[in-house]
This record gives sequence, C-alpha cells and structure tokens, in this order.
Amino acid sequence: MTAGSPSRMIEFRNASIGATVAVLRDARPAPLADELHKMLGGMADFFNGEPAILDFSGLSAEPDRIDWSGLISMFRRFRLQPIGVRNLSAELVAAARQAGLAQLDGAELAAPTASPTRTAPARVDAPPPPPPAPVAVQAGTMFVDRPVRSGQQVYAKGGDLVLLAGMSNGAEVIADGSIHCYGPLRGRALAGAQGNTAARIITSNFGPEIVSIAGIYKTFEQGIAQNVAGRPAVVRLSGAGREQKLDIEALQLD
Amino acid sequence: MTRVVVVTSGKGGVGKTTTSAAFASGLALRGYKTAVIDFDVGLRNLDLIMGCERRVVYDFVNVINGEAKLNQALIKDKNCENLFVLPASQTRDKDALTEEGVEIVIKELEHMGFDYVVCDSPAGIERGAVLALTFADEAIVTTNPEVSSVRDSDRILGILQSKSRRAAEGREPVKEHLLITRYSPKRVDEGEMLSYKDVQELLRVQLIGVIPESESVLHASNQGTPAIHLKGTDVSEAYSDVVARFLGEDRPLRFVDYEKPGLIKRLFGGK
Ligand SMILES: Nc1ncnc2c1ncn2[C@@H]1O[C@H](COP(=O)(O)OP(=O)(O)O)[C@@H](O)[C@H]1O
Ligand SMILES: [Mg+2]
Repeated sequence: MTAGSPSRMIEFRNASIGATVAVLRDARPAPLADELHKMLGGMADFFNGEPAILDFSGLSAEPDRIDWSGLISMFRRFRLQPIGVRNLSAELVAAARQAGLAQLDGAELAAPTASPTRTAPARVDAPPPPPPAPVAVQAGTMFVDRPVRSGQQVYAKGGDLVLLAGMSNGAEVIADGSIHCYGPLRGRALAGAQGNTAARIITSNFGPEIVSIAGIYKTFEQGIAQNVAGRPAVVRLSGAGREQKLDIEALQLD
Repeated sequence: MTRVVVVTSGKGGVGKTTTSAAFASGLALRGYKTAVIDFDVGLRNLDLIMGCERRVVYDFVNVINGEAKLNQALIKDKNCENLFVLPASQTRDKDALTEEGVEIVIKELEHMGFDYVVCDSPAGIERGAVLALTFADEAIVTTNPEVSSVRDSDRILGILQSKSRRAAEGREPVKEHLLITRYSPKRVDEGEMLSYKDVQELLRVQLIGVIPESESVLHASNQGTPAIHLKGTDVSEAYSDVVARFLGEDRPLRFVDYEKPGLIKRLFGGK
C-alpha cells in the first residue's frame, strides 16, 4: 500500500515482514495527525485496524523523547495499530517498550536484540529488560474461523492465535504468544512477537514463507524439508544468545 | 428476495466478463429475471459480449448521476426474455461510480422484482472491484489455473470478507464459489498448468465448475452471443453445469480429464 510521495511527512510501505510500515519524518503526534488527515481525508477507514511498524529511519534528527502514548492513540484514531518500532536508538527503544511496542528491526537486525528473555545476558548496549510482558493465558486467545487470505494480517496481542481455517501465501499472522494453525500454514507466521522465546508455531500442514519466534527468523528459499513439507509440524526456538535457532520438527497427530 | 452475485477475480483477462454473460444468460434461461451490470467503467466489454453495443443509449453512470432512469438504461437481451444488461460507460473516469449510487441502483432492481443481479467486476483490488463486490450475497471467484491468478483470487477473497456490506454489518459472510476457467486438461497433464485440485487446495473454496479453454469462446464473443448459447460445445455445457450447481443441483465435473491418444491413434493418426 502506498499513500503519499517521499517528500511527505509520513509514508506507508508494505513491510518486508508484512505489516504496514509507517516511515515517519516527524515523531510529533500533532503534525502527523494533520498530515494523515490530509492524506486520508475522505477515507476514514483506509486502514483496517491493521498492524503497523513505526519506522524512524526518515527522521532528520532523533528527538530526545517521543510522546509514545500520544503517537499510539493518534495512529489508532486512523485505524492503524502500532505494534513495534524500528530504526530507533536504544534509549528511545526502551521507552517504546514501556509503551508496549516491540522492537521490530529487519530480519538481519532482529536476532541479537529481539530476544529479551529475562535470564539471557543482555548485551552491553542493550536496552534494559522490558516490564513483564502480558502473558498469553492472561490476555486470552484469539480465534480466527475463516482462512487468512493473501494481503491480510492478524495480530493476537498479548496472547495465542488459533487459526481454524489455515492461512494463504501472502498472508501474515503475528502473535505475542504461540500460533496454532489447523489447516495449511502458508504465509508469514511470527510468534512471540514481543520477545517470548517459549512461544511455538504448530500446524497440521506446514508450508510457510517465513516463520519467526521472538525475532529469530527462518525463510525457505531452498524449499522445505521433506519430512515436514505439507505435514504436521512444530517450530520452536532453541539455544541461547547468538546460538539461538529455530527447530522444525514433524508432529505425530494420530 | 433478490440475490446479488459478483463475478470477480483480482486478475484481469481471466474470463470474468465471459462468465458474467454466460452465467446471467443461464439463470435467465432457467426462468429467473436477471440483470447483469458492467462495473468496468472505462473499458465497457459486457455489451460487446452480449451483442447489444449498438443499443446502448444510457449507461450505469447516467443512472447514478440521475441523467437517466434505470429502466431507460436497462437493455433487454436479444436471446433471453428475462435478461437485462446495464452497460458501463466508456467515456467516464472510474470515480464516476459511488457506493451510494450503486446501492440505489441495486435497491431499485430489487423493487423491480429481479431474482438475480450479476455484477461483472473490473480487474484489480481497487475501488471499482470493491464497489462491484460491496453488495454481493454470493461471489463467483473466477480463477485461471496459474499461480498469479490463484494469488489474486486469494486476495479478492480476503477483500470480500472484509469490505462487503455483509462483512461490515456482521451478517452471514458472502457465499464463495470457485470457478476455474480456461482449463486445459492436456496442459495440466503435461505439468504446465495447475490442476483444478491444486487450485482448490490452494484456495479452499467450494468448486462450482471448471470451464475448458476453447476456441468457441472467441467465436461467441465475435458473434456477440454469450458462450452458453453455443449449443453442443464443451464451454456451453460447462457453463450450464455451473448454473445448475449454483441452483443447488448435483452435476459431476466434466471436461477435466485428458485422454491420451491411444496406441492406434498414435500409430495411424486421425480419429
Ligand atoms: N474458456 C475460455 N477459453 C478460451 N478463451 C477464453 C475463455 N474464457 C475467456 N477467454 C478469453 O479470454 C479473454 C479475457 O476474457 P474476459 O471474459 O474478457 O476476461 P475478464 O473479464 O476477466 O478480463 C477474452 O479474449 C476471452 O475471449
Ligand atoms: Mg471484463
């Protein structure tokens, strides 16, 4: 989705991980609101409550502080749901996390920073561990009864996501907890989006484009291993620190 | 009750207009009072396929703008008593259609006692395509057996479930039907094309029919006669099956198997 030209104060792109990326050239809610109003004037529901990643790479200079709650509620008024930030300094990321936003830098950047287990040794320049994230059981589970189609996104904030009719290539599902998919898992599935390393991805028919747990990604350009392709499988995160990796195992369902 | 059926696909050139014409004609042949609306403002193909292009005086946009009454713009089909065509305008820009305007026209067709309103959608996933599906009760998702068409159909299915009135009002979702068109059993057999089973497996929507790739579609469009009227052709039979299944009848799938030429035929050629 593209609305606006590069000279604009804010520009929308499709993220490489699927959600809408809002590239901001200003971090103050009020001017951004004006701009959004101008851009989307007649189309109050141009965005459909979809998840958004706020990208700060367009700032000419990073401010000392950002009004996170103001920014989040401003985007919500335009039916965008900020879920994370990228291209932001460690100091500001810490505050973003306090406000409930995840750090979602690109796949190549995500591995070292987006795995905030409470016990894992933090890197020297890493932000302080976030406040205890809402856990799945408390936040409840989100159920999706219909197939998630190409171009659609679903975000289960604070909990698990259960897909009862599978998902298509080109779709993206995100959960702070685990993802359970009955039917084909075909698009991008990101579990543990706020850093829960214990999250898993479970499906009756494994065929994704990308899976990720707590920011550790795996793509399948070379194809999917025979023993799990199109079959029941579970994805989990193993190892610690730089040794973290995703394990994909066949699952015996009957 | 009027049922609104959108023929949609995302991708262009897959056979939506061909299908809209054949399907609407098929419903009319079964005795249902049917209107078929061309939503492809700017291209205007449906009237050519229906063979009524010389009788277009007013169009959909004229009606929406209040420049003509709906019954002035509706063109009675030359083949079927119960069928009416609402042509698109060729000259107007795409923004000429508005949601309120479309709603008024569909309401009025309801008052006129139409059983079915078939909406021939433009390609794409923008405004025109969204307007064509907004008021749908059922959708015929027209797909060619190739990956890009399947992907676009998947997208349009998502849009159907999020942007239709039924979705917006939380009513029962739009009923989805998968129609595979331009199907060549030979090319499937040779591995050059997805099989109908592959397509259905990818989209997970109930299959309403498979229309074979056939020269007769070209003949039909040159004659300005919907393909369902070309008696005895595979395409006509396949579209009749689609209409029957849509009306709840059970019909086995036909024209999906490739019969390899036997040994005799290969040795001696001919029939
Ligand atoms: N079953 C078929 N066999 C052969 N050609 C077909 C078939 N269906 C459609 N076509 C051809 O494909 C082209 C696009 O068809 P059309 O119905 O106009 O598609 P759309 O409305 O989706 O753009 C036309 O040239 C049409 O004659
Ligand atoms: Mg067309």
